[in-house]
Parts: sequence; structure tokens; C-alpha cells
Amino acid sequence: MSLRLYRHLLGQTLRGKRLLGAGALASVAGIAAWVSMAGVDTEQTADIYRTVTASVPAATLSIALLIVASATLRDERDGGTLPYVFITPMSATGFAVSATAAAVTATLAITLIGWIPGWIGSWIITGSWDVAVPALALYGIAAAGYAAAFVPLGYLFDRSLIIGLAYIFVWEGILATVVAGITPSSIWRIAMSAYADVDELPPDALDMLGTVTPGKWGAVATIVVLVGVGTTVLGWAVRTRDAV
Amino acid sequence: MTAQAIGVSKWFGQKVALSDVTVEFTPGVTGLLGPNGAGKTTLLRVLTGLQVPSQGEVKVLGVDPRRDRSVYARIALVPEDEAVYPDLTGRQFVELRASLGRCPVPDEAAARALDTVGLTGAADRALGGFSKGMRQRAKVAAALVTDPEVLVLDEPLNGADPVQRAQLIDLFVRLGSEGRTVIVSSHVLVEVERMTHRVVAMVDGRLAAIGRIDDLRAAMTDKPRQVRVTADQPRALAAALVGVEGVEGVQLGADIIDVTTTDPVTLARSLPSIACDGGIRIRAITPADESMEQVFRYLVESGT
Repeated sequence: MSLRLYRHLLGQTLRGKRLLGAGALASVAGIAAWVSMAGVDTEQTADIYRTVTASVPAATLSIALLIVASATLRDERDGGTLPYVFITPMSATGFAVSATAAAVTATLAITLIGWIPGWIGSWIITGSWDVAVPALALYGIAAAGYAAAFVPLGYLFDRSLIIGLAYIFVWEGILATVVAGITPSSIWRIAMSAYADVDELPPDALDMLGTVTPGKWGAVATIVVLVGVGTTVLGWAVRTRDAV
Repeated sequence: MTAQAIGVSKWFGQKVALSDVTVEFTPGVTGLLGPNGAGKTTLLRVLTGLQVPSQGEVKVLGVDPRRDRSVYARIALVPEDEAVYPDLTGRQFVELRASLGRCPVPDEAAARALDTVGLTGAADRALGGFSKGMRQRAKVAAALVTDPEVLVLDEPLNGADPVQRAQLIDLFVRLGSEGRTVIVSSHVLVEVERMTHRVVAMVDGRLAAIGRIDDLRAAMTDKPRQVRVTADQPRALAAALVGVEGVEGVQLGADIIDVTTTDPVTLARSLPSIACDGGIRIRAITPADESMEQVFRYLVESGT
């Protein structure tokens, strides 16, 4: 891994407008939770936060993460600057690890930005800092999982955003909901399984899991494998596919 | 040789960008000539490992860069794209390349490279504010910073003003004389001629000619030229031109004549006397086929 390449790609990925746009999109769920909790009986506010957090970011945060992660190398390729980072004496694996690490850091930063409004809102309304903390498991695992999937996508395909949106809305949103056999392939549900294990989710939120069993370590292990597979695919692409 | 393509073809779907190209590059400057779309950029990208050949093999300093990326410590590319990182300063850009290229002291190496291309004064300005010529020089500095043995430059003089061009040409010649392999692509023959006498000419993804520039020029002189003459009595002029030595054909338009000749010098000498003798007023004489593309097409067709 090259720390210099990692820092460079991270800086380029989290540039001005993208940081603002993705951060704003990621914040939608937290703001929605805050608004939904306002004026509700205090016994229900935590469950409202959990239900909103389990559902809304599946559409908003995942898109923000798609935008950020797929741009990590696609920006370089589309902008014509990829040769400057590609023609470097580091192994294809080292290149892939650096890019994936930069993407995971960038998506974690975006999820943290998205988590903060809900955290502040839940504190203002419930008086407790703890309501939103378990959601960090959901957000963190989702960030790593989507980064692992979308970085190679951005490198390999010109239409990575469209393919990513198809995955989020068609695969995760529809197919994984109605076809039990493919539910475990949903990154959001894998992340949700960790959230369900570290917090007491209301039935509405648990419905999101489908056939996936709650379990934080299972979720972590699955995402670690996914990051490994994503990095391997990217390394293969760097070795065998056109870089421009 | 330090860089070679052996039977390399590259296609994108139905489009063939390179067709069975075998070429070797040795230390010194080699010009890669050809019109736009000839396949120069694709060849350079394949040589540097940015693109994978659909067929054939590439070796730079004895290895395929795709298989042994450590060779990238000894190779540098100045891409054709104007793209640079607009938010980075010239110094940051060159230091980035120095760090990624594993220079022992990146900031010192960057300072030296920027000085070499005459950008020290502007080094701390953002690249987004650079002129096209300054960007080209920044790209050259970023390539030089790793002290490469093989330097691949894709249209490096684009956008540079005449003074900058002269400085860059001198620099490339110096780098070649130091024993580096410098491959410079261009579609401008006279520019390449100022850097080297050794050229590889391409058209339509194929090699058109390899060798000394003098040989290429000799091949070009055999090519029939087209000259367009604008005159007030084109019919009378056309009739008189048919008898001039070297004239192979005359095509008549409203007030123009397209003359095909193998001997443009004799044609140029004959025209004034023909005009005087016939009382014909000649308004303009222009070459009608001097594009590089036509010249290279001729070379391919004639099998040079």
C-alpha cells in the first residue's frame, strides 16, 4: 500500500462540491429522524429514530456512498489524470489496497457527516446521547461494504453510477425484498444485521432484515470478505484491463 | 533496444486502432509521426501499459510493464490529454509524481524538475490557472522528476508558444543525448525534424515508415502533388499547362484549376511565362493536398 496514493485519492475524492452534495444527501436520514421525533411522546422517540435510520438511509446514504466510492478512480480516468497515479512502481495489489482504503475512509467520513444530525436531534429531543450511537455500527459497516463494491465498479465501467443505482434500487430495493434467496446479498441488510444485534430495534425496523439473521460479528466478517473480494477484483482489473 | 512492440494489435469493438505493429525504440530521440487518428496515442499507451494489447507483446527495458510494474520506476509518460489536477499547485503535482515514483527526496527532485522546464517562478500557483503551454511544461516536469530511462511524450509541444517549443525541443534533444530513450509523438514533421532524424511513421493503425527522416522526405518527393490555381481564364491556362513537364492531370472548375504534378518546381517556374504569354491573370496558387494525412496515406499505399 502507498500512503501517498491513499492521501492523494482521498483528497481528490472528497473535494468541495462532492463533499457538500454527498454529505447533504447522507444527512437526509438524520434530519428526517429528527423531524419525525419532534413532538412525539418520549417513550416512542427512540423507536422512531431506529425505524427511520433502518429505512431512509437505504435509499439516501447508499446513493451518497455510491457517488463517493465510485468516483475514487473514475474521476482520475474520466479526467485523464489516471496515468499520473497508474504509472508508478507499486504492485497492482498495492494500488488496489490504496484505492480501496481511500474509498473506505471517504465513505466513512460521509456516513459520519450523515449520522451527526440524527445524533444531535436525538440528544435534543430525548436528552440522551446514546440513542443514535448504535447506528454507527449500521453506518460504518454500510460505508465499508459499499466502498468495497463501488470502487471496482467505478474503475471498470463508464456507467458505474447507473449500474450502482440499479443495484441499490432494483437489486437491494426490490429483488432482495421479494426473493428470500438473494436477501443476504444486500449490503444494507448485512449492515442492518449488525444494527439489530447492538440495539433493540422495533418490529418495523426488523422487517427490513428479511431473512438475514441479526449478528454483529457475522456482519463484520461478511464485510471484511467483501472488502477483500472488492480489492482483489480491483487488483485484477489493474493488471488486466485498460486503464484509459 | 529499450522498448519494443512485437506484432501488437489493439481493437475497441469493431474499431482497429493498431494493426500488427512491430517496432523497436533505442536510446536517443525517436519521432513518432502520423496524422490524427493514426494510432500514435494507442501505441504509446500500449507501450507504457496503460492499455493492454488485444494481440502481441510489449517489452520495456526487458519486461512487460503490466506484469512487472517495478519497471515504472524507470519509465515516464507525458499524456496527450491536457488534464492535470486543477487544485494542485505545480510543485504539489510534481512532488506527487516524485513521491509515487519513490524519489528519495521528493521535494528536492520536484524543485530540480520544475527548474529544468522553467517553471520555478510559477511553481506555487494552482495548475488550474496555468496556460496550456505551462501545463505542458508541468507535465514534462512531472515526467522528468523520477529521472526516467524511457520517456514517452505524446504531443508534448501542443499549446506551447514558439519560445517554449524551442526550449522543450532542446530539452528533449539533451535527454536523448544523455542516453535515455525518448519517444516523441507529433503530427508536425518539421517539429520532429528539429529533434531527431529517426522516425516511425504511422497511419490508420499501421506502420507507414521506419527510418531516417531524410528517407521519409525522399519518399514524399515522389508523390504527385496537387496545386490549385485561381485565374481569370482557367480554360486557356489549363490547355497550356497540359504540355508542362510533370503535369499528370488538370481538372477545370469555375475559376480554378486543380493541377496534379510530379514536378511542382517546374510547374512553379512555368506558370509566370504561361500567364504572360497568354495574357492570363493568376490570382492565387495554393497547395491542395499538403495535409500530413494525405502524405502518410500515400506512403502506406506505395508500401514505403
